Amino acid sequence: MSASHEPESVGDPVAVPHACTTCGAGLETPLACGDCGTMMTPSTEVSPFSVIGLDVAYDIDQKELAQRVRKVARLVHPDFFAAAGPTMRALAEAHGARLNEAHEVLRDDVRRADWIVRSLGGPSEEQERQMPQEFLMEVLEWNEVLDEGASAPPGSTERLALTPLEAELAGQRAQALREVTAALTPLPSPGAPALVDVRRTLNAIRYLDRALRRLRDLRVGQPS
Amino acid sequence: MGYIELNVLDNAPRRVVIGIDLGTTNSLAAIWRDGRPEVLRVEGEPALVPSAINVRPDGSLVVGRAARALAVDDPEHTVFSVKRFMGRGLSDLDVDLASVPFKVTETESKLVQIHLRGRVFTPQELSAFILRAVVQQATRALDGAEVASAVITVPAYFDDAQRQATRDAARLAGIEVLRIVNEPTAASLAYGLDQKKEGTVVVFDLGGGTFDVSILSIDDGVFQVLSTNGDTHLGGDDIDRALIALAQRELAGRVDTSVFSHATYQQAVRLAAEKCKIALSQDPQADLALALPELGVALRRTVTRAEFEALMEPLVERALACCRRALDDADLEASEIDEVVLVGGSTRIPYVRRRVEETFGRVPHTGLNPDEVVALGAAAQAEVLMGGRRDILLMDVTPLSLGIETVGGAVAKLIQRNSTVPCSVKEGFTTYVDGQSGIDFHVVQGERELARDCRTLGRFQLKGIPPMPAGMPRVGVKFHIDADGLLTVTAKEESTGTTASIEVKPMHGLADGDVDRMLTESYERAKEDFEERRRIDLVAEIGTMLRHTHANLGVAKARLDRETFEDLVDAIAAAEAAQSSQDLPAVQAARDALDRATIPLAAVLMDDVVKEAVAGKRLSEL
Repeated sequence: MSASHEPESVGDPVAVPHACTTCGAGLETPLACGDCGTMMTPSTEVSPFSVIGLDVAYDIDQKELAQRVRKVARLVHPDFFAAAGPTMRALAEAHGARLNEAHEVLRDDVRRADWIVRSLGGPSEEQERQMPQEFLMEVLEWNEVLDEGASAPPGSTERLALTPLEAELAGQRAQALREVTAALTPLPSPGAPALVDVRRTLNAIRYLDRALRRLRDLRVGQPS
Repeated sequence: MGYIELNVLDNAPRRVVIGIDLGTTNSLAAIWRDGRPEVLRVEGEPALVPSAINVRPDGSLVVGRAARALAVDDPEHTVFSVKRFMGRGLSDLDVDLASVPFKVTETESKLVQIHLRGRVFTPQELSAFILRAVVQQATRALDGAEVASAVITVPAYFDDAQRQATRDAARLAGIEVLRIVNEPTAASLAYGLDQKKEGTVVVFDLGGGTFDVSILSIDDGVFQVLSTNGDTHLGGDDIDRALIALAQRELAGRVDTSVFSHATYQQAVRLAAEKCKIALSQDPQADLALALPELGVALRRTVTRAEFEALMEPLVERALACCRRALDDADLEASEIDEVVLVGGSTRIPYVRRRVEETFGRVPHTGLNPDEVVALGAAAQAEVLMGGRRDILLMDVTPLSLGIETVGGAVAKLIQRNSTVPCSVKEGFTTYVDGQSGIDFHVVQGERELARDCRTLGRFQLKGIPPMPAGMPRVGVKFHIDADGLLTVTAKEESTGTTASIEVKPMHGLADGDVDRMLTESYERAKEDFEERRRIDLVAEIGTMLRHTHANLGVAKARLDRETFEDLVDAIAAAEAAQSSQDLPAVQAARDALDRATIPLAAVLMDDVVKEAVAGKRLSEL
């Protein structure tokens, strides 16, 4: 069996309803009308920013994002359609899934950056696999400390060296995210060379996340 | 004898929606009434229905308190903790199998079968009997109102197969499931924590068989589950087992070790351990006492609270490790928790409360009965689903990652655990042989890297792909986890627009056909049950008729002609024999024969009565 990972489709904002098809009120989300409660049926994929009713931007306020998600959830969550007919229930399921997927993409700093890079025509993870040059040198060193610590018994010098390593990697990740934020604020023009640099930095963050997860598992015990 | 039929033309029975906590040890129901949830209990009876089933020698079933009472003398035919078997295969039950006194097998699709007195039950069927008992109790508590549908709770950790099994059990019990809700999230609804403007809540649920911890955020009436963790084999039963092991250590050397595998011993020691455990929540020390003279077992061992706490320590540590992982997944520190909610009977244990309080630095909520909290929350959720209130919203998460097996047995994760439901993911598949018309794939749930270490959800087969060169078809497969946490899969070949069909082979579960067959069987069983009741009624009627006939046998002999009298004597003998018959038509025939044979006697007796009544009266007075 083979599975090819398709890139998440990027929605055309024009093909998305902006006014309620029932009452004509302006829409904050193309999924449902906040005025009359009618659920919309957008014909195309809708961008995660549009679903939640936010302008496309990298640097977003997480608190505002969460509030917006809750507001849309009050319009489309399946719990409010449990006693409705099967068509409405299915639509609420689909809209609920769209909303949650959009929230997952936007609340995660890496996935949000990944979406923006691709929406601006930048390279995908498969197309650009490099990490920043200066970063590569350190990776070899970190891997060595990590491998030695992981195979050593708890309490040993090698194991104790993982605590400062975890702090260092967390610091590196924060620094890399600051670079991503700077490069994506304001949004670069479509196809800008800076998008390749952002992709490389995102690759470095993915490495750091894997290493940090391994360190965490060693610290709190294997997940069941 | 004639009956007066009272045809009371009442309104149709009220239809209500309830919340049901289908528990490992106990089950119960609650309803939303007058703006708050309320446990459904019949006056003078406990609200909890023990999740126990006993099969009687005649094959009939006893459920609930009566079944638990029968368990002491008849452990081989009593099932406890059937929830542990739901949606699982034999290989998942290794811990429990040694301690169950009845035979357990599994089908080819790894569906567990429980053998009791020659009858075979799936866990779904047994759970359906418990659900029926809960609904019956609810109906009585509601003065006959009909239970139309229900919200049923499951542990947050339940995977797709276990949720599906719960749904099927409800279907078998004739209940429409409005929603499957996670127990810990239901619990926080019960505490009305939605009244809080903002906050973070930990729900610590240590029940009889499972441990769950959930971390929720509450913001303006919206409950969002940030993370869940837990252990499907950690609960009050394990605490009992620690005491059972203590009893065993005390008895070792004094009794023959074969006693330990004796079913009577196992049930008795389990009850003794439970009793000792409960007493230790009140008293500084309690006795672990056991007297089974027929097995030569006599034990009275005083257990101090300190000793008990030492036994529990590793178990509580396991629960707290789950809590730490849940905090980590939610990206929170223990100090950021605002509220702690306790659920499950085991949270009555002072040591458990103390350790939880130490871990989170908060005094836990204990205002509600920890056995009832989940059912109360389920009733609150039922009210939301019926459109009764829109002020609260529960946004739940899927507890396990969903993935598919790729080349080499690795797992490609499609949906990460702790994703808010409903959620969907679309995945592209293609062929690797020219003209290939189907693709097989293996869907798993779990966190491990290799498919063989995860739980199989099902093997799906995509069929009907139009013939094309290898790699050309673009089959989009959509995996959707709905608000109940259940998976549906749909597929479409995108280059031609052909809808590919999906064949699901559920593991540990019932196919749709199975459910239909079981429903038919249960109707047949209902017919059997009806016939049995009819037979019992007829035997009672025969008894009454025989008493009357015997009392007037002297009159019959004196007044009836010889042939009629002999017919009567024959009918009496046949009816007496039929009293112990199990065959309904034979009993019915004997009763009818006796009825006919007594007609002449009845006529004679009636004559006498009439003569007496009209004696000394003129015709005009009649």
